[in-house]
Formats: sequence, structure tokens, C-alpha cells
Amino acid sequence: MVVCLIYKIYTILIEAGVPESIYGVSNMYLIVTNNQLCLGKYGAQIKMEYLEEGSYLDVLLKVRDYLHLGWKLETHPMTGSLKPNQTPYKSIMISNNPLDQEEFYSQEITISNGIAACRKFQSIRKTPDWPEHLLEDFRIVDLSLIEGAIQRIL
Amino acid sequence: MKLELGIIPISDIQFGPESKVENGTIYVNAEELKALILEDEALQSVELDIARPGESVRIMPVKDVIEPRVKVSGEGAMFPGVISKVATVGSGRTNVLRGSAVVTTGKIVGFQEGIIDMTGEGAKYTPFSQLNNLVVVCEPVDGLAKHAHEKAVRLAGLKTADYIGKLAKNIEAEEIETYETVSVKEGLQRWPDLPRVAYVLMLQSQGLLHDTYVYGVDAKQSLTTVIMPTEIMDGAILSGNCVSACDKNTTYHHLNNPVIKDLFAQHGKTLNFVGVIITNENVYLADKMRSSDWTAKLCDWLGLDGAIVSQEGFGNPDTDLIMNCKKIEAKGVKTVIITDEYAGRDGASQSLADADAAATAVVTGGNANEVIHLPKLDKVIGYPEVADIIAGGFDGSLQADGSIIAELQVITGATNEMGFNTLSAR
Amino acid sequence: MSKLRVVHYINQFFANIGGEEKADYQPELREGFVGPGMAFNQNKEFADEAEIVATVICGDSYFNENVDSALETVMGMIKSQNPDLVICGPAFNAGRYGVACGTVAAAVNKAGIPAITGMYKENPGADMFKKEVYIISTKNSAAGMRDAVKKMAPLAIKVAKGEAIGASAEEGYLPNGIRKNFFEKKRGSQRAVEMLIKKLADKEFETEYEMPSFDRVAPGEAIKDMSKAKIALVTSGGIVPKGNPDHIESSSASKYGQYDISMFTDLTAETHETAHGGYDPVYANADADRVLPVDVIKEYIEEGKIGSLHQYYYATVGNGTAVASAKKYATEIGKKLVDDHVDAVILTST
Repeated sequence: MVVCLIYKIYTILIEAGVPESIYGVSNMYLIVTNNQLCLGKYGAQIKMEYLEEGSYLDVLLKVRDYLHLGWKLETHPMTGSLKPNQTPYKSIMISNNPLDQEEFYSQEITISNGIAACRKFQSIRKTPDWPEHLLEDFRIVDLSLIEGAIQRIL
Repeated sequence: MKLELGIIPISDIQFGPESKVENGTIYVNAEELKALILEDEALQSVELDIARPGESVRIMPVKDVIEPRVKVSGEGAMFPGVISKVATVGSGRTNVLRGSAVVTTGKIVGFQEGIIDMTGEGAKYTPFSQLNNLVVVCEPVDGLAKHAHEKAVRLAGLKTADYIGKLAKNIEAEEIETYETVSVKEGLQRWPDLPRVAYVLMLQSQGLLHDTYVYGVDAKQSLTTVIMPTEIMDGAILSGNCVSACDKNTTYHHLNNPVIKDLFAQHGKTLNFVGVIITNENVYLADKMRSSDWTAKLCDWLGLDGAIVSQEGFGNPDTDLIMNCKKIEAKGVKTVIITDEYAGRDGASQSLADADAAATAVVTGGNANEVIHLPKLDKVIGYPEVADIIAGGFDGSLQADGSIIAELQVITGATNEMGFNTLSAR
Repeated sequence: MSKLRVVHYINQFFANIGGEEKADYQPELREGFVGPGMAFNQNKEFADEAEIVATVICGDSYFNENVDSALETVMGMIKSQNPDLVICGPAFNAGRYGVACGTVAAAVNKAGIPAITGMYKENPGADMFKKEVYIISTKNSAAGMRDAVKKMAPLAIKVAKGEAIGASAEEGYLPNGIRKNFFEKKRGSQRAVEMLIKKLADKEFETEYEMPSFDRVAPGEAIKDMSKAKIALVTSGGIVPKGNPDHIESSSASKYGQYDISMFTDLTAETHETAHGGYDPVYANADADRVLPVDVIKEYIEEGKIGSLHQYYYATVGNGTAVASAKKYATEIGKKLVDDHVDAVILTST
């Protein structure tokens, strides 16, 4: 009964987006991604928020919302030298690890700059409607970029 | 550590029955070289071609550019840990086939950019339009994974450069350049009054098509460390970076690192060039913290007064650049950083993805979003269909007359962040 | 081909009328060149293509104290000459002259006539107008006249003829935030080494890219009980009482306004409007609560969620307004709010 109640509270907190470190469960990693290859390969090992129809920008905005709720950036939002109007895919790792105010400011600026850069490139030219074989290449590169970080935590 | 570079000026490359270097011309037996490259089972076929300055030729998509060199004396051989066995290079003599390069092209991923035009508007922006280029076009076996394909093309280029370089092992150099780095102790004794300066060389290290190798070690697996400038001249650092053509550092850039050359020019005169610190640009933020902490720590430990920091790539590395700059400055070491910009086609947007007030001295290689007009050229070496992707894609458009309007970012080496070019922006 | 018709704008001092005691001199139009105009007409590059046909003179105090009417008169005089080009100054480090030159040049540009000016980089007019007009970077005193004319003349001709303008470092104008590529004489690595040597010797050096500064403000303590808090509204969205009584400019605002809202529970098209020129004003004019949420605040007060709304709100226009000006307004507004015991402020932008 008590366990059930605690579980219920956790569920509510998780659904509200509050990081678990705040209520005692430590070291949870979450990958926000719109890349199905990333979901397929690591979805069973790491918690994923998969934005099926989401754009590169949607991933950044989702991550920003998490940061505002107290989550911490684990990977850089602008990974890869592919421009935000070139690749449609983005995978970003965040966690519930604690962060101090200084880190929060710096991460806030990092994600905001990422969003600004993404919008800048989109205003120059929208991401093309790439054929499937190119989309697959972009997914492979995005997966490879996030794998560098995944290997650090698994 | 002291290295002599024996400069052998090259004015032409030709195919011929016997591979040799004679009177400034490189002759290549194409069949022999192809057979050597095709020893790699990952490759199905290979084509060789030559592009000379001024010819109406476009090479695309360019993967890497490598200057042929050969060790004449001293420990080790070119490209240690990859082509030759691991041994500390950077001393003795190395012959350089100046004016020539090996250019690899390969369609590892479908969207790959990277253009070298040998004439016209585009030629002004890439330093490689001034070289006699032996182009290696590699086709992989069916179904080869991207990682394996990247590696096969990378090795094909290095093998070719090694093969060409070796042709010049016994040739008398026209000119000798000497570079020497002394021990910390000797440096302090010889130039007690000169400011101590090091070069912080940031290496691309994010993943597939974004990697750099140091003595064969993937840079993202490594901690920040110290390397002698002459080791880099002997091929200790190799590029596996194929994305963001304008600001990727090719192997040619590493071999001919302009910051190293220009610091040596002032060495013993206005400053004491202590050495090179290499650090990476990983995606994991904790790695960035660790690497930049180590960079600052090494700068401090070397007793530096100043440092030049160069970056490689777009976006993510801006954060490493700023972290390095901030932490090095915080140690009381004065910095100058070299970058390029993505300020939008109109030049009005914010140029970098990160910034800090500590970065008071910045050199820029130009705005990569600025638009240029590339004429239609007579011949394309590589994969012409890539033009359609570049033209129809994110960064350009194909005109009715066959010319391409594109952003500078498609040109290999155009906004190099080692400061290789004269291009800048204000 | 006939020469380009140029009108030159200068102040009372450079017109040899007098110094500070004549700074209230009203606008005057004279035929031909006056004072420094001679230097332009004698510049070969300039004289081959252009000629100063008239000079407009105005006292610095007069201009700055009567901006609207003075600008109107000056513009009328300029337009009467059908110029192809207008040159203002150079103003060097004279603050009010710099602001006048910037204001006139910007207005002339907006009217579709090419205009440039020149001043010292620390002249307050430089920060205010460098994004709107080409301002040649000059020395800080009139001793730099020769040098200024040498740089202003070729840029003026280019601007007038609609030719491509190079990067600031090539043409000599103050960086205006627009990045432009050009080829330097030396490669980047050499420039970096030279810059470092200067930096190490504590000598002056010029960075090629000025870092944008992110002004970090630590958030205040959270308010525990909002039901007792006194809230103020401050906006850079340009919401002003109908008719814009303080004439806050639609861009590059030179002031902010303080307005009583104690009698309003809802802003309407009859009571308020926006002075902002940087966004489509239709929705803000129809219902200014969309920018300055007085209606919602009043509802919250009614419901007991918020204690009270401060009697005054403060408004300026953020459109192109110089950061230095915005900081100055904010400091003044902040002090007033603290003095009036306001607990929290809702800042709205557009």
C-alpha cells in the first residue's frame, strides 16, 4: 500500500517533469531525440523521449523546457558540424544530476544559443525534404555523435 | 627536438610508365598505385585523376587533402600509428613535395559537401586550387558500413601520399627549413626575457565523420596532452573529419599548420614558442569540462605568458573554444583565439554559438554563410551528382547556365580556423 | 555626366558662427560649401564626381533641444536642394554634434537619399546610429579633419552611386553589426601571432570579432506571498497613452515615459496605442493589454492573487534602441520602483 502510494507520487512528479534527484532517485539519464535509430538501438537501456514527428528545433525546445524544470544538459545541443538546416535529426542527453546556479546559467545560455542558431539557419533556408537514403545517412551520423556520450554512462 | 624539412618544389603531376619524381614533376604509374590502394578489401574500385592550378576542373566531394612527405632520416616514418609503426617522429629530416597534394573523394554519406575549384571564383577561397592535385576517387564494396567506408577512404589517401612521398626519399632538396623545440629548462635559460607562448590546437572529435587521430589514437578517447610541433609536421595528427568543408582541418592543414609556422617565425625573437597542447571537442559536456580544465592546467604548468587557441568545426566546438579561452585567461595566460563565423547570408546574425567576455582577442576566418557564385566548369572529378544535392539542398542553388550559387561553407578550407587563409570579416 | 549634388550638414562651430554661446543657432541653408566642406570639394576623388551645392547649418543645442522641429526644418532644407547625397559632419568627439549628425543622416537615409557621417568611436552618436548609417571612424578632435575627409569622400561616392560597400575594416566605417568578408594582407595565423605579441606587451590591439556580451542578472528572491505584493508593469513594447504625449520615437528611442494607469482596468483602442515601429502595430493598437497586461493584473487583484498594481507604468521602444540608452532608462526606472516600494516587476517585450 505504502509502496503503491510512493510509486503513485513518483509517477505524478515524473509526469510533471520534475527531475527525480529532487525527490531522491539519483542518476537518471534521458535522451530527447527524433532519431528512430537512436531509439531502436538504445531505447531499451536508456530512458528516451522520442519525438516521432519532431524537428531538430522541437528537440532543442523540449530540452530547454526540461532545463527550466531543473534537468541538466549532458551533451552539447549543437553536436556535429552538420548545420541545423542540413540534418533533420538531433539527439541530446540530459540528466537529473544536480547543477548549481552558475552551471544553470551557462547551460541556459548554451541551449538558448542553440535555439537561436537553429532558427538562424532555418531562416536562411529550411531543411530540405531529403530522400530516404539521405535521411538514413543523417540518422547514422546523429547516432554516432550521441553514442560518444552513451558509452560514457552505460 | 629538431626537424629539417627538405623542400622539393613540384610544378606538375603526370601519369607515366614509372613512378618517380624528376625535375619538379611527379610521374605516377597509375596501375601500380591502384593495385596498392585496392589491397584494401573494403574498396571495390579506385580511379586516379590529376587537377592542376588554372584548369577548368572541380573536385567534389572532397574528403581529405594530404601533402606527400617522406622521412629521410630520424626516428619513425610518415603517419605513425596508422601507415607506419608507432614511433616518435618529429626529428631528423623529412622531404616535402611542396606544391602537390593527394585529394581523396568518396561519397561516404549522400550529403557530403567539399568543393575544390581549380579556377574561377571558388579557386580564390580554397588554398588547394594552387596545388597540383592527384585525386583518388574511391568506390567501396557493396554494403560497407559507414565507419568502415570512412576508414577505407582515409587510408587510401594516406597510402597514396606515402607512396608518392617515398618517390622523393633520395632527391636533393632545393631548400631546407629547420624547426627546433628545446626542453623547458633550456628554453628558460636561452630566452629568459621572452614571453613563453604555446599553441592550443583543438581537434575535432565527435563521432562518425567528425574524428581526428593522434598517432592512430581516436582523439575523443584521449585527454589533453602535449605534443612537439615537429611531430605534427611528420604526420602525427591525421584528419578523419569530413563535415563542414570550409572549417575542417584537413591532414594538409595539420602538416602545414600555419600557427606553428608563424610562431616558429617569431621564436627566439619576440617570443619563446614552448610547444603545442592538443585537446579535443567531445560531445559530452563533462568531457569538455575535463579537457578544458587540463588545457588550462598545462598552460599554467608550462609557465606560459600567452597562448593561441584554434578550433575546428561549427557549433559544439565554439563551446570548447570559449571554455579553453576563459580558463586559460583565468590562469593569467593571455590568449588569442581563431575561429570563423556563421553570421547569416546578410551577415547580421550572431556569429558564434558561444561567447565570453574573456575572449578579447579574436581572429576570424570569415563568414561561412556568405554567398558566392561558382561558374560551370568543364570537368568534375569525383561525384558530379553531389552538385545536385548541394545545389538543390540546404546551401545553394543550381542556375540555368550550370553555375552554382552557394554559401562559402561548401568550399574546402575556405574559412579555416587555423588561420591558413587571408580571408577575414568585420 | 553631371556631378552628384551633395548637401553638407554642419554645426555652428564648424560654420565659424561661434562656440557654445551660439549653440542655439537656428537652422540655416547656405549655397555652396561652408567650412569643412572646402576639404571635400578639394579632395580630388570627391571633386571628380561630386560637388557640395549647399550647406545646412544648425546649432547643437538648438538641434538637440528641439529635435522634432529642428529635424523637420533641416530635412526641408536638404530636400529643397534635390541632393544625390548628404554628408553630415564629421563630428569627431563632440557629443551633441554627433547625435545631430546621426539623427540627420538616419532621417535622410530613411527618406531614400544616401547619407553618411563621421565621428569618433566614443561619441555617443556613434553607438546610437552606427547600425542605421555608415559612420566613418575619425580621430577625437578636428585635428583629424584631413584624415576623416580622406576616408569619408570615397565611401560617400560609393554610397551615392549604390556601389557594393566593403567590410568596415576596408572602408573605415564603424562596425555596424553586419559581418562582411574580405581578404586581409596577412593570413589569419600571422594576424593571431601579431595580436598576441601586442596583447602580451599590453599594447593596444584590435579584435576582429567583438564578443556579444550576455548581461547576466541574478534573479531576486522569490516572493512568498503574491497576495500582498505590489506589482509594476514596465515594457519596451512602446505602449503609450493615445496620442503618444511624450513623442517616444518609433525606433532608437531617446526617452521613456511614466504613465498613470491607476484609473484603468482595461486598455482599449481609445485609451492606448503603441509607439513601436518594429512590429505590426494592429493588434497592439486594437488592445494594448496584449503588450501591457493591465486587464489580467486587475482581474488577479480582484481575485486576491496579487496585492496591488503600482500606480505608474514605464514604457519605451526597444526597436533599435542603443544598449547604453536602455541601460540608462532601466537604471532610472529601477530606482523609482525601489523608492516606491514595488515588490516585483513584470517586464514585457515584443
